[in-house]
Amino acid sequence: MAVAVPPATRERLERLERIWKEPSGALGWLTTVDHKRIGILYFFTSLGFFAAGGVEALLIRTQLIGPNQSTLDPNTFDQVMTMHGVTMIFLFVVPMSLGAFGNYLVPLMIGARDMAFPRLNAFSYWVYLFAGIFVYVGLLSGNGPGAGWFDYVPLASKAYSPGPGIDFYALGLIFVGISTTAAAINFIVTIFKLRAPGMSINRMPLFCFAFLAVSFALVFALPPLNTALILLELDRLLGFHFYDVARGGDAILWQNLFWIFGHPEVYIIILPAFGIATSIIPTFVRRRMVAFPMVALAEILVAFIGFGVWAHHMFAVGLATATAVYFAAASLVIVIPSGIQLFAWITTIVTGTPRFKTPLLWIVGFIVLFILGGLSGVMFAAIPFDQQLTDTYFVVAHFHYVIFGAAVFPLLGGMYYWFPKVTGRMYHEGWGQASFWLTFVGMNITFFPMHILGLDGMPRRQYTYPPGMGWTGLNLIETLGSYLLAAGLISVIVNLAVSFFRGARAGNDPWEGDTLEWSTTSPPPAYNYAVIPTVSSPYAMWDRKDRERDLRNLEEGEKVLAQGHETVATTAVDAEWDEILEMPSHSPWPPVVALAIAGVFAMLLLGQWIAAGVFALLAMAPLGAWLWKEPQAT
Amino acid sequence: MSPLEPHSPASHDIAALWWGMLIVAGIVFLGAIGMLIVGWVRRDRRGLPLIGESERFNTGLVVAFGIVIPAVVLVALFAISDLVVIRDTEAPAAGSASLTVTVIGHQWFWEARYPGTPAVTANEIHIPVRTKVEIRARTADVIHSFWVPELNRKIDMIPGQVNRIELDAERAGVYRGQCAEFCGFQHAHMAFAVYAEPRRRFRAWLANMSKPARPPAAPAARQGMRYFMEDGCAGCHTIRGTEAGGTIGPDLTHLASRQTIAADTLTNTPANLLRWIESPQSVKPGAKMPGLGLGAARFHAIVDYLAGLR
Amino acid sequence: MSPVTRSMEATEAASAAAVARARRAQPSGWWGAVLLIATEVTLFSCLIATYFYLRFKSVEWPLGGIEKPSVGLPLALTALLVASVVPMAAAVRAAKRGRAGLAWWLLAAATAIQAVYLGLQIHLFVGDLGSFSPSDNAYASIYFALPGIHHLHVAVGLLIDAWLLAKLSGGLSNYRLVALRVGALYWYFVAAVAIPVVLTQLYPSL
Ligand code: HEA
Ligand code: HEA
Ligand code: HEC
Ligand code: CUA
Ligand SMILES: [Cu+2]
Repeated sequence: MAVAVPPATRERLERLERIWKEPSGALGWLTTVDHKRIGILYFFTSLGFFAAGGVEALLIRTQLIGPNQSTLDPNTFDQVMTMHGVTMIFLFVVPMSLGAFGNYLVPLMIGARDMAFPRLNAFSYWVYLFAGIFVYVGLLSGNGPGAGWFDYVPLASKAYSPGPGIDFYALGLIFVGISTTAAAINFIVTIFKLRAPGMSINRMPLFCFAFLAVSFALVFALPPLNTALILLELDRLLGFHFYDVARGGDAILWQNLFWIFGHPEVYIIILPAFGIATSIIPTFVRRRMVAFPMVALAEILVAFIGFGVWAHHMFAVGLATATAVYFAAASLVIVIPSGIQLFAWITTIVTGTPRFKTPLLWIVGFIVLFILGGLSGVMFAAIPFDQQLTDTYFVVAHFHYVIFGAAVFPLLGGMYYWFPKVTGRMYHEGWGQASFWLTFVGMNITFFPMHILGLDGMPRRQYTYPPGMGWTGLNLIETLGSYLLAAGLISVIVNLAVSFFRGARAGNDPWEGDTLEWSTTSPPPAYNYAVIPTVSSPYAMWDRKDRERDLRNLEEGEKVLAQGHETVATTAVDAEWDEILEMPSHSPWPPVVALAIAGVFAMLLLGQWIAAGVFALLAMAPLGAWLWKEPQAT
Repeated sequence: MSPLEPHSPASHDIAALWWGMLIVAGIVFLGAIGMLIVGWVRRDRRGLPLIGESERFNTGLVVAFGIVIPAVVLVALFAISDLVVIRDTEAPAAGSASLTVTVIGHQWFWEARYPGTPAVTANEIHIPVRTKVEIRARTADVIHSFWVPELNRKIDMIPGQVNRIELDAERAGVYRGQCAEFCGFQHAHMAFAVYAEPRRRFRAWLANMSKPARPPAAPAARQGMRYFMEDGCAGCHTIRGTEAGGTIGPDLTHLASRQTIAADTLTNTPANLLRWIESPQSVKPGAKMPGLGLGAARFHAIVDYLAGLR
Repeated sequence: MSPVTRSMEATEAASAAAVARARRAQPSGWWGAVLLIATEVTLFSCLIATYFYLRFKSVEWPLGGIEKPSVGLPLALTALLVASVVPMAAAVRAAKRGRAGLAWWLLAAATAIQAVYLGLQIHLFVGDLGSFSPSDNAYASIYFALPGIHHLHVAVGLLIDAWLLAKLSGGLSNYRLVALRVGALYWYFVAAVAIPVVLTQLYPSL
């Protein structure tokens, strides 16, 4: 497809190339502020944590393959079980969806050249990496946290967990929280400020609505968690008494604070997946989403109502009946926005002309699993039923259907969908479909029987169980299923890895996609778009005229912005041109600051207060330097 | 120990609620899957069968299936479960129960007390059948959860709080219970049994439990008692009627009348008893009882003593 | 192309002020600061909620016979901190008019007040530590933790002040003007949240 490029255009592209070039090699990755490269760093790091969490899951399943097994002793089991939950929730799903998918795609979809705060973005990544390592130092040194992922006190207090395990957990989560908070703020500002001119809020892709909703949810959900963790560490490290009943503290305080975070968190986990589904479906069914405004509203409502339902995790603690009934009602209300989205997807598929390629298969699988997991969730809003089944394998079944089925499946579908964009190559379609079926079947064999186990009275978080309870057969099936599931996931990764080297060239737009990212090259250049794109609907790629306009602009040198690291800032609602921003370029400071902060947390863990203070000051110096340099016109 | 084999009014209602929800959920699930199947069958044609392509109609479908039908179903579910069934599983009204049992969770065993009597036992709760019994659930350390699925829903045991729940067994029998809130290493081995018995048998049992331990007669057992008192056991265990008054471990006054030891970990036979006291850490790793290493002879004597505590 | 500003070209006071006036939307830095403040406000809400949660779980309050806090000085200090907002806001106004020197002096005045505030608060804190300890009971724990966390925010604010003073001593630019606005926003938050924090801390005596 060698179309003659006019010399003026070529000159412009070369100029952009020169301006946006980052150092090559390892140094380039260390100092990068390019949202795409940061997205890729996030991708591989969170994939690594997924593998770790997966290995932990397989250890759990192997231990439970039959009664009275001794693959893991109780101490190790508790740590592995806790770290499985912590890893999957804090170190895999959120960084994968927000860090990898969000980082790579949100700026592309809104036609921007980077995130609003590129160095903060790099900083988020490094903090995440160091925090993940921090938590894993605990597990690998045999001092992992062992009180479950929600870490109830008093079990997690110094008196009952004297080792440093819980400190790894609490400090590690505060540490990761810094990264997540920074990322959330960055997304909101990016979406509010950097949308291409013309992309008023109502013309924004639903994917971006989902990320906006998630980011807002994070801004308000993390502080309660941080409060809970700070109080816990004050108790543990300095002998305060927030959770100590004997001295006027209260154990349920932890549960309230944790779940005020914890429930919004589960919607934070699933909303990016919803966003991915609403990207893939229109492309593969070749029509626009049905009920677009309702879906956008529903995405925001889910994030919002999610803050009012937390006590449904606490129905068995002996709440006043009126309190419990209120929270049950709120939990039922939240079904409505999920229902809207679900039927909007289904109706779109039914009324379109779907091509059941691998990405769409994952999304259809997601829909099926989300209905199943959602329906078991609704049952928990029936208080007596919840009080009977809470803390059994029925809960484990519910949340793996909604988390693994409904949140991870779209991530996998998204990996296939955007693979050609990110790598410039196609994956292997037949292999892709086979991997889907392997994973889908494995998933159901692993997790469906857990419903029945719960109904047979098997409590969760048991390192073993006695024979003769009627639990043996189903546990065996689940364990075998989990091996199948692992095989499916590994075949996904192998397919993508092989295709990265061998796949056919993909071109810019192999799917006839609907959003802007398909208009640039695969992989996109460092500056994303040579011309700031023209936008007049949420399906920008399907607006032929706008894309032709971009090409003309490039030839004429309109909207190219090649005087420096430039991008456009627009007004928050209507996306009208406001100013041209000079974006920061690569910087060594983000990893340095992150490392110094890691030092602070390590010293706190060791109880070295003075050293912690020194590290905090050490973090300030490079931070000051980072902020000192002003953007300059070039 | 299945919630779906109910033996009390409360558990019956919960099980019925489950079957009802399962049927409705099945219909919702099949309906949604049915639509997806239509989508697959008509993958080459746009629009809907009969109706064709009408955006207004499509939006109407979303409203009908995503808002209206769920709203109806949810209101019904709310009314039935959270306003009606919930009454049967609530804490018993004050004064409605004819017997109260205090159950205290420990890492990792259950202590049961019968207020108004000196009876204290562990891991076995006896109740009269067809009688409303109030359980007052407390904890001595971390959070546990008291759960006998065939008799009622579960209730957490929270530090500084007394939670109440009603047991009302319809038939005599043994109902297994287990700790349902993660409480540390041996959460998995924190089970117990509820014995629902005819009233007369229950009274006889309670009367026996209220008595102090009978002093041993056989010389070996007497020797065992001495070791028990002098070699550290008494520091953690109470045997009423002797000087042993420890409160860390279970009350052993009528140990031999129990069917299992260490919270349903082993059946209560002299051989198992020996195995347990010789090395509790290999039977139940992490348990709060140390292996005291007293040597086989002393342990045998102690077992002789304990096996006589009926 | 529409009349768009290249804001980074504003590297001295007059053009920086002109950019500030021409702007149709708030700059990114402003949005970032507002969102950061949103998380911080949520954090303090949680801490204050914790205070009252603990309070309503206990019969006596303060627990363990600890004396009720004395009211006078903490309230006066809070008033002082709130008052520091005035020179802060004036500094922003001056900068927006392109008066770099005035802005610097006003910022310095605000910083001085804030530094005095923190000094006196630390004195109070240490004094309280002399009479009872946060590890006495839950009341003592929250009594120290709540204002303690606020003092940390004040300390961070002073570091921001120092950075701004250093930066503004080299004159104004668009970047510095936005930075000053961000710093000022942070201080408005710190001062505003001081009010519920101190009222909560003094609650037993009110
Ligand atoms: C991605 C994560 C995710 C999602 C999306 C959900 C979705 C929901 N969850 Fe789930 N939940 C978790 C993750 C998630 N959950 C986790 C991790 C836990 C356990 C934590 C732990 O203890 O470790 C948990 C636990 C949990 C509990 C506590 C159980 C207990 O411990 O006792 C409850 C109780 O109400 C609950 C309810 C719900 C409800 C009502 C929804 C709803 O949002 C579901 C809505 C969706 C549907 C209903 C399906 C689609 C809609 C239709 C088909 C329309 C028609 C529907 C009807 C007519 C009903 N969840
Ligand atoms: C995102 C969340 C998430 C995900 C994806 C999973 C995935 C899995 N989970 Fe987990 N799970 C939780 C969140 C999650 N879980 C949480 C929060 C808990 C509660 C913990 C607690 O109670 O505190 C829990 C608890 C939990 C239990 C109950 C433990 C107990 O109560 O005792 C079990 C038991 O079977 C289990 C099993 C599994 C299995 C088999 C998978 C499988 O799906 C895993 C499959 C994945 C792999 C096998 C990895 C494959 C590898 C790759 C794709 C990478 C290859 C790449 C390279 C080589 C670079 N999980
Ligand atoms: C440090 C405290 C401690 C000491 C010393 C101790 N025990 Fe125990 N014992 C416990 C605890 C705690 C349990 C409950 C263990 C569990 O089930 O998790 C227990 C359980 C038992 C049981 C089982 C009771 C039941 O009903 O399940 C027996 C029998 C017993 N101990 C006997 C002994 C004897 C005999 C000795 C002395 C050789 C002894 N214990 C010393 C703390 C102690
Ligand atoms: Cu006690 Cu679990
Ligand atoms: Cu929830």
